[in-house]
Amino acid sequence: MKKDMSLNKRRVVLEKFFHGVFLLAALIAVLSVALIIIFIFGKGLAPFFSGNEYGTYSFIDFITGLKWTPQSGEYGVGYMIVNSIFATFGAILVGVPIALFTAVFIAEIAPKWLAGIVRPAIELLAAIPSVLYGVFGFAVITPLVKQFSPYPTGDSLLAVIIVLTIMILPTIVAVVETAIRAVPKSYKEGSLALGASKIQTIFKVTLPAARSGILTGIILGVGRAIGETMAVILVAGNPESGIATTIFSRVRLLTTNIALEQGYAAKLHEQMLFSTAVVLFIFIMIINLVLAQIQKRGGDR
Amino acid sequence: MSRKVKDQLCNMLIWLSAAFSVGILVLVVGFIFSKGWSKISLDFLFNDYESKTQYVTLESDQAYQAPASLSESALFSENLGVALELKEDHYEIVWMDKESPLKEATNNADEKVKISKGDCVQQIKVSGKSLKLDKKTDQEEIVKALNENNTLVMKVMSVGGGIFPMIVSTLLLVLVALLFSAPIGILAAIYLVEYAKPGKLVNVIRFATEILAGIPSVVYGLFGMLMFVNTLNLGMSILAGGLTLTILLLPTMMRTTEEALKVVPMSYREASYGLGANKIQTLSKVVLPSAIPGILVGVILSIGRIIGESAALLFTIGTFAKLPVNPESGNFSLLETGTSLTVRAYIEVKESGNVEMAAAIGIIILIVVFTLNLFSRLIAKKFSKANN
Amino acid sequence: MKPKFSVSDLNLFYGNFQALHQINIEIPSNQVTALIGPSGCGKSTFLRTLNRMNDLVDTAKITGNIQLDGENIYSDIDVMKLRTRVGMVFQKPNPFPMSIYDNIAYGPRCQGVKDKQRLNQIVEDSLRGAALWDEVKDRLNKSAMGLSGGQQQRLCIARAIAMEPEVILMDEPTSALDPIATKKVEELMEQLKKKYTIVIVTHSMQQAARISDKTAFFLMGELIEFDDTNKVFTNPQDKRTEDYITGRFG
Repeated sequence: MKKDMSLNKRRVVLEKFFHGVFLLAALIAVLSVALIIIFIFGKGLAPFFSGNEYGTYSFIDFITGLKWTPQSGEYGVGYMIVNSIFATFGAILVGVPIALFTAVFIAEIAPKWLAGIVRPAIELLAAIPSVLYGVFGFAVITPLVKQFSPYPTGDSLLAVIIVLTIMILPTIVAVVETAIRAVPKSYKEGSLALGASKIQTIFKVTLPAARSGILTGIILGVGRAIGETMAVILVAGNPESGIATTIFSRVRLLTTNIALEQGYAAKLHEQMLFSTAVVLFIFIMIINLVLAQIQKRGGDR
Repeated sequence: MSRKVKDQLCNMLIWLSAAFSVGILVLVVGFIFSKGWSKISLDFLFNDYESKTQYVTLESDQAYQAPASLSESALFSENLGVALELKEDHYEIVWMDKESPLKEATNNADEKVKISKGDCVQQIKVSGKSLKLDKKTDQEEIVKALNENNTLVMKVMSVGGGIFPMIVSTLLLVLVALLFSAPIGILAAIYLVEYAKPGKLVNVIRFATEILAGIPSVVYGLFGMLMFVNTLNLGMSILAGGLTLTILLLPTMMRTTEEALKVVPMSYREASYGLGANKIQTLSKVVLPSAIPGILVGVILSIGRIIGESAALLFTIGTFAKLPVNPESGNFSLLETGTSLTVRAYIEVKESGNVEMAAAIGIIILIVVFTLNLFSRLIAKKFSKANN
Repeated sequence: MKPKFSVSDLNLFYGNFQALHQINIEIPSNQVTALIGPSGCGKSTFLRTLNRMNDLVDTAKITGNIQLDGENIYSDIDVMKLRTRVGMVFQKPNPFPMSIYDNIAYGPRCQGVKDKQRLNQIVEDSLRGAALWDEVKDRLNKSAMGLSGGQQQRLCIARAIAMEPEVILMDEPTSALDPIATKKVEELMEQLKKKYTIVIVTHSMQQAARISDKTAFFLMGELIEFDDTNKVFTNPQDKRTEDYITGRFG
């Protein structure tokens, strides 16, 4: 009997110990976010407060500035913000319809064997590392753009948009396809029974019923596009100033700014790159919040 | 517009879009393969990146026999047990005896030098004379010089242009990143699925994971540099890169494990508890074994992610195409800088516009990533079958 | 005779919902006690309180007293220990995705039995006890998932027996089985009651009448009537019991 008790006690202690270990692991995620925020924001916001060891910089000038010339001490990311939005918006504009149609194709139109080829192909598209899209863009897309461009190089907003379009396709297709499949069969049957055609049913019943999923896909696409770095860095041109005036303009984006200069930046210049990351981070947070909102509303219905 | 026309138009757009999506894949993969294929060879995989020229001292103590299979045009040295052959304008080592003194060669600094087939012999110094080897050099003179004295000095150039250092670094990176992220991610997922009660803490953990999943890799790169490279003073190294990737992989690892745990039927747990098992026993003997295929899929996907990642590594492991070897001790070290295949592909294009090299590296990456993809698909398929 | 379980003033709440009201019952040793009643009447919930499986539901709260051989199962006995004494067989056969052998050996191993010889003996005895030995003795190392539904359920019974419990709880153990498999499981119960106390929840009144010695009728979380099966079925004391067994509702 006594032995039994001690065994029990050991068990309880062991259970508690493991519980602690699991909790600790889960808390590492929280700790990581906290550390990232502290480090990035700490270094990135320092230049905007007096007493910064490398000199202060006006936040307004930073956020609205149209010129980034570290050698002359000008750090404006305003034009990069606008360019990043342009690029993302462009990619969404082109990519979403294609992705939507592709998802409809896989879920509703294609015979089973063909869907069985197209779906894995799209998944492979997602598995290709971004650098290789960059290489592809550098060697194929920019020379192509150059043919039509009034400027001497093919590095351009257009090239960025094309690369980003390709990269967000698989994300959106996967989410939308799942959403379409989740639409109850009864909806479709109801529509078909009323004499609607298959295509009409898809566009009037199925897609509207899947809209929360479609929206989620689009937002995830935005997230992927705005954070993409290595694929666009090779096709953007990355000038020191200038909001894109045409789709053939060379552009610098928030992400490429960081990746380009981090290698050699120091002091205020380095801090400013962290400031750029702060802007990027805030964009991502907004996207996350919007996403949470959509999912909440989707869940309510 | 009549309904029929409209329907047909839409149908066409749908087919076109699907064709476009698949076409892109074919185009990108086709481009990478066609551009890089000519460079792919065993040498490409196993050669060092930089070519290296060294003077080595050789001492012969016996005579060697030429192999029967030696080609007509090869020059053979009985003295050294080595055969050279003219390739374009340089002499390459085409055969070496197992006991050849070249295997024991040392350079000026008395360090051992590994000479292998394919290396190029540029000059021979023997008995005070020096003979340069190129296509103008008389072949008999070369053979004579090779066999003239028991001690001679050779100028040997190892061929570079390979990606061996990047392969090694990438493998080490995968190892380090998985070593940390897999246990943490799996344990965290167990907490969320098996232990946590809905409430504030869980919400915080979930919110944190979502944020982690959304952060662009370039921001991870910045963070990793500040945190691991500078603050923890690891320097640009495999370890710093691996730790950065650990955080980057955490959300994926947690999510896939959570999914895998969630599909383990509740009835298994009930049955186990019903038999008097405690929580840990139930977890380790029933729940985890059933979830292993799902967890494995997560691990495999993570490997793919590590291999494909670049922005987070640029400032954490560095961009040097060298083996992560400590120059003093000559041992592999996780605290040494190196570079991954993917980062190198970027550098090749960015710094020298060398698309062929990048594409050739790309082929290796694609083969690995696609194979991993196939694996995870097979496992997932088997898994879902087993559960039905 | 002393009762195996004696339950007094048992109330069970799921959050704000009260699933069991003031249950008082004494379950006799070495007999089959059937719990009957319409869906949602609380019979399964009650069954699960007997080996504290309701502990797995976060929101469940219990008041009252349940004693197993005079010991309070919520305070005097460790829950793991309790479940080794009170085994359970579920509605749907739920073997683990392991070999037949490992399924049976699972419980003993969890209790720290490592001796191979002893495990072999336990596996054989349990399978014999569940009348499954002859059917599976040649494929003990094959996956339990390959067995038929009826075999799987008897495996689950064997798995419960392997713990040498005093009580076996069965939650509609035959509802997922075909008639032939059902008959086998019922015959098995007849055998088992010599050694074990059995409490079974069943949807089928015929089954209750066929196999049980005592029958308890539950309705809306209350225990309406509890008596010898013969009596309950031929001469029910409560109007509601009569209505139920004559098929007027439920």
